[in-house]
Amino acid sequence: MASDSSPVNFNTGPSSPDDSFSSPIGNTVSSSGDGYRRRSRRRSSTPSEMATPPRQRPRLVSSETTPTAKEPRSRRRGGGRGASGSDVPPVAATPSSTDDIPPSTEPGDGDDMDEDHPTFVWGTNISVDDVKGAIIRFLRHFRDRQASQSEGDFHTEGKYAEVIKRVLENEGDSLDVDAQDLFNYDADLYTKMVRYPLEVLAIFDIVLMEMVPQINPLFEKHIQTRIFNLRTSTSMRNLNPSDIERMVSLKGMIIRCSSIIPEIREAIFRCLVCGYYTDPVSIERGQITEPTICLKEECQARNSMTLVHNRCRFADKQIVRLQETPDEIPEGGTPHTVSLLMHDKLVDTGKPGDRVEVTGIYRAMSVRVGPTQRTVKSLFKTYIDCLHIKKTDKSRMVADLTEAENRLSSNVDDLSFDEEKVEELKELSKKPDIYDRLTRSLAPNIWELDDVKKGLLCQLFGGNALKLASGASFRGDINILLVGDPGTSKSQLLQYIHKLSPRGIYTSGRGSSAVGLTAYVSKDPETGETVLESGALVLSDRGICCIDEFDKMSENARSMLHEVMEQQTVSIAKAGIIASLNARTSVLACANPSGSRYNPRLSVIDNIHLPPTLLSRFDLIYLILDKADEQTDRRLAKHIVALHFDNPEGIEQDFLDLHTLTSYVSYARKNIHPKLSDEAAEELTRGYVELRRRGNFPGSSKKVITATPRQIESLIRLSEALARIRFSEWVEKGDVLESFRLLEVAMQQSATDHSTGTIDMDLITTGVSSSERLRRESLLSATRNIIMEKMQLGGPSMRLSELLDELKKKNPENEVHLNNLRNTVSTLASEGFVEIRGDNIKRI
Amino acid sequence: MVGLPYDFLVNPLGAVRSTFEKAISSGSNPASFDGKDWGALQPFQHFLFDQNGLSKVPILNASSVKWLQPNTLVRFRGMIQDMLGNEFYVGAYKDGSTWKTTKFMNSSQCPTGFSPDMRIWERRVLYCVPVPGQNSWTDSSRLGEINNSAEGTSENRQKRCRMDENAVDHMDILAPSDEFLNSSSGKKQKDEQLSPYSQNISTMATSSPSTACNTARGFLPCIVKIYDAAESELKLNDVFEFIGVITLGTEQEVDKDDYDEFSNGLSEDLSDQFPPDMVPRLHCVIHRKLGVHDFLHTCHVLEPIPHRIKEIRTALLNHLTIALGNDGVAAQFLLLHLLSKVHARVDSMAVGKLSLNLTGFNRESLSIFGNQLRLTVKNLLPFTEYIPLTVEYLNTASLAPKKDYEINRLVPGVLQLAEGSHLMIDETQLEVGTLSSLGVENARLLKNLMELQKVEYDFKYYKMDMTTDVQLLILSEGKSNILPADLVVPFQPSAVGSTAITDMDALEAWRWYLSNVRLLPHSIESEMQQVVENDLVAAKQADRNLGSQDLSRLLTIGRLICASYGETSLSLEHWQMVKELERLRRERLR
Repeated sequence: MASDSSPVNFNTGPSSPDDSFSSPIGNTVSSSGDGYRRRSRRRSSTPSEMATPPRQRPRLVSSETTPTAKEPRSRRRGGGRGASGSDVPPVAATPSSTDDIPPSTEPGDGDDMDEDHPTFVWGTNISVDDVKGAIIRFLRHFRDRQASQSEGDFHTEGKYAEVIKRVLENEGDSLDVDAQDLFNYDADLYTKMVRYPLEVLAIFDIVLMEMVPQINPLFEKHIQTRIFNLRTSTSMRNLNPSDIERMVSLKGMIIRCSSIIPEIREAIFRCLVCGYYTDPVSIERGQITEPTICLKEECQARNSMTLVHNRCRFADKQIVRLQETPDEIPEGGTPHTVSLLMHDKLVDTGKPGDRVEVTGIYRAMSVRVGPTQRTVKSLFKTYIDCLHIKKTDKSRMVADLTEAENRLSSNVDDLSFDEEKVEELKELSKKPDIYDRLTRSLAPNIWELDDVKKGLLCQLFGGNALKLASGASFRGDINILLVGDPGTSKSQLLQYIHKLSPRGIYTSGRGSSAVGLTAYVSKDPETGETVLESGALVLSDRGICCIDEFDKMSENARSMLHEVMEQQTVSIAKAGIIASLNARTSVLACANPSGSRYNPRLSVIDNIHLPPTLLSRFDLIYLILDKADEQTDRRLAKHIVALHFDNPEGIEQDFLDLHTLTSYVSYARKNIHPKLSDEAAEELTRGYVELRRRGNFPGSSKKVITATPRQIESLIRLSEALARIRFSEWVEKGDVLESFRLLEVAMQQSATDHSTGTIDMDLITTGVSSSERLRRESLLSATRNIIMEKMQLGGPSMRLSELLDELKKKNPENEVHLNNLRNTVSTLASEGFVEIRGDNIKRI
Repeated sequence: MVGLPYDFLVNPLGAVRSTFEKAISSGSNPASFDGKDWGALQPFQHFLFDQNGLSKVPILNASSVKWLQPNTLVRFRGMIQDMLGNEFYVGAYKDGSTWKTTKFMNSSQCPTGFSPDMRIWERRVLYCVPVPGQNSWTDSSRLGEINNSAEGTSENRQKRCRMDENAVDHMDILAPSDEFLNSSSGKKQKDEQLSPYSQNISTMATSSPSTACNTARGFLPCIVKIYDAAESELKLNDVFEFIGVITLGTEQEVDKDDYDEFSNGLSEDLSDQFPPDMVPRLHCVIHRKLGVHDFLHTCHVLEPIPHRIKEIRTALLNHLTIALGNDGVAAQFLLLHLLSKVHARVDSMAVGKLSLNLTGFNRESLSIFGNQLRLTVKNLLPFTEYIPLTVEYLNTASLAPKKDYEINRLVPGVLQLAEGSHLMIDETQLEVGTLSSLGVENARLLKNLMELQKVEYDFKYYKMDMTTDVQLLILSEGKSNILPADLVVPFQPSAVGSTAITDMDALEAWRWYLSNVRLLPHSIESEMQQVVENDLVAAKQADRNLGSQDLSRLLTIGRLICASYGETSLSLEHWQMVKELERLRRERLR
């Protein structure tokens, strides 16, 4: 390498065509080669590298060695070295063009910033010294905003000064620099770095080289700078020729990793004739030249040199393909991909399938026509020289990180709303009709079912999870069950929620087994190792697990849900693995009534036909009944007609688009944690007591879903979700009332006859009549009186028709139908007052 | 054209160069041409469209590729099957003191080294294939062949070709992780895979080497390089005509052991995958999107006169009735089905699709009417595909396109179809059997296609829905539950007639009719809207089982009936027809 460092080379830096990596775009390199050169020589410990000026950012990635290094090849080499530490053999000695000046041995004695005439980054007016000064200032003095209340307090160290110390203590080899910090401290430096990354990063390395010995003179490794978190991230699609040689940040998914490629840095040859070993030969223009003549004077055999593999030095390299994430692909396009080049430590940091954010330098490489020809094709291969890689996991609505453990890694905090967006959302939340508007925006193509949508909305927002110091935890997730007639678009709602929710999993009950939902242990056929594989519920941790055809699920599988839905964990004990996995998931299930269609003659419970233990775990149970309602039908007809004839009105209403909706929900989930106000708490208590009382209606215990303490938790969750919808930190009375209403509506309770538990279909369509209930109650008491009068305990039975006659006699003004009577009597029977056999009644 | 210093057809690059020089000499800086045209397109446009030069441009296909000269102007009609990303190239450089451009050409003569006197530009690389299922009559060179007797063979052959193509493409890829990868084992598998529908094929087709197959059947893929086009203009599965400069095998020989930084990492050099002598490169100057109607070669463009349209309709309906054994109702529905097209998507709903399920076929009637129907459809529509659905087929076929990351290519699947394709699925051969997981997946894909007009492309780490517009016709014994069609019509033939087409003009007219009538706009008067709404409400009240799908279907039928008469607004008369048809259909279902 050394050789390449001939001055010419660096001035023209960019043009160094030689190696395949050279970038086409001219850039780089200090104009006055000498100033620089001189300096660098002085400073670099390992002579070999020094030669070239900073233009190389060489790899910051890899090269640690002398930062000054340069050209790509040095980069390569540097990497190698990195691996082996600074034990670089006296390469310098060799052919290297170390020129005449002997290398100074002291690393980093450099304070020569103020050296002679200023050097400039080639082709620009950026002064190397200025940049260097700026970097030193940044590293020494930058303080986190919150960390340092008192700017200028020189007693506390700068953020990065501390970080550097820590790196030294850990024997680390890289310094992560948050570009955001850099920007905040010195926007100009940031801009320069993005535009001329090679140069600026090389200077960064130099600066670090100089700083390290001041802190710990014994520290030998080189520390590389890794920049991350650029202010703007580019879409892969938008990379274009003007981005070449700039620092870019991309998001994508790793789709392929090559195997690790040992890249030769230095080769040693041996003469087959005399056994003479050459000094290490370093790579030059991407190639190693094999000496044609034995260098030993006595030998001088021709073509006798052979490569000694195990004395050569190699560095790791890996090529990784990154592909656009699905959300960036425009309609009708296929995903773009880009190659990443990773060195040393970055090798194997990601595996296929990972979503990552990569910071690197976009480079183009000309393609040579043949290995031996100097001509190049007019084509370029592009790749990104990777500086930093960060795994992200961002899909759909951002799963909220409520747990402290997630907070620790603040970097993972990928849900960053820019301020503008936040403003917009807040603005939106202030609209008085935000609740309705969101409801409308949810699955706009599904007609009606507004109350169901409101419930689903609550589910999306969720309540607050609570963890008491005692260890008890209360879930914040809302579970919903939809029970309804076929063809009421339940499945479509499910699909919609599935698409919208963070980490939604959609399964159909019929195809799900217990292990498919929870987790199972499998044995690797080859190694015999047992592996824990997650099922749907575990996979939807912090998301929504949508289960279609809930009723068709096997009893066994369903019972697995008990634990998940309340404790939010999945416990496994099999094949020697005992584990408890988190499954903090909301469950959205839908089912058909027991007889496929809702049978109005049966009670709600009988219709749903699910064990009460499970039912009570659902916060909301919706009965979706297909009612023959002309109004609804007409609206549907209008809607469909509009659909077909592009009638703008009727289709376009002011919906929020899906994107706004998801960000609204994500923001609320992340930032709004409402608390109960006193007033709301009072209302809750009152309402709950009322609910309990209703459930205790005489004789109805089996027929109605009774309020349990779980219900009050449900109500709290619902109210919290409702407050979140408004972006309000306080749950107010209105929220509580609405949550009660939702609960009522869901069960069609307004139309439920609490004595029999059946739903009166007439009531649903025509509205509630409270007089009807009164009438029934009076009928009940009248019947009871007659039976008390006419019948004896254990006496002979009586026919219903006789009873009817008796009733008519007593209250001639009241029309009583046999059916009504039958209902009434069965109520009495449920109280254990009478016994019915066919048409005969017997008092017991 | 006289007086021009260059001939567009033979020396298109001359035109490119001269416009470039003109632009430079007028003082423009090449830097200003980044991603822009400097005026090269205009003369081409003028030549092609104003001077009617388009018809003189030879079409690139498997037969013409043998005699086409490199660096001449050709046109290629095909579907974008895959997008190979962008390519950076030296677009302009300074040779001595003059600027030269390499746009629209392959050039290796670019200077070594880099200098500021060099502009790097970008172009898109697309992999295009002939439209899947394209019928031979669309090829103007084979105008005569209409009743292709070897239907089955050619279909299968074509499919074979596509697959063999893959085998060839990937020949030099090492990792055999995918069935397509390793050529030897891949081929074996492929043969098995094809067996369900290749049983009846002559062994010749099976044994023919892939190259022979390629040229024989006219399957010629092409790599098209697009310059300066907006990304949204070209979409996957779109059918385009690319007019540009062809380079054939002229790309410098690529040395296989080329030292290449990336070669041992990820091999995806284009020339490895697509040897230039097999896959020509086209440097596209002008592209235009083609619709179904562009594939007709009627010189006599018919005027859309309502009364003429009615005549054609009657004749066509008659023809379809004969093909369907005198079943008039089925013929009506078939006609509407052939006219259907997705014209809007509202959320996940595709409005306007009308898939048809003809039930009541048995082995016997299938052998007569099934083939007849296929032939009829084939002769009427430019792109048709046929899938004989069997358990084995479901378990083995690769229906959805799949991304193969080893070679960074999208491996085509049967369901990667161009807009406006017709797909006939024969379910009568489906027997009791067990579906493998692939089979279940395939069945799901088909169902999604039926219901949503979407195909899920498999990108391994995630799936991506691609919208399609495919007319689906299902032949089955009973109502198909695997493939729930919009319309289920029991098929009741009463006579066997011959569908041999005698009148070429009539056939041309029918093709024209089918491809053009469906593009008609459609509207509704407000009174009519009221009527329709009332009828829908009444229908819904009468039968609670009617879902929005059913109502929507009625409107689709209305629209299509109306269009079939060449009218653009729904009239009461046609609405009555809709109801009548629906009544007849329900009667049959009973």
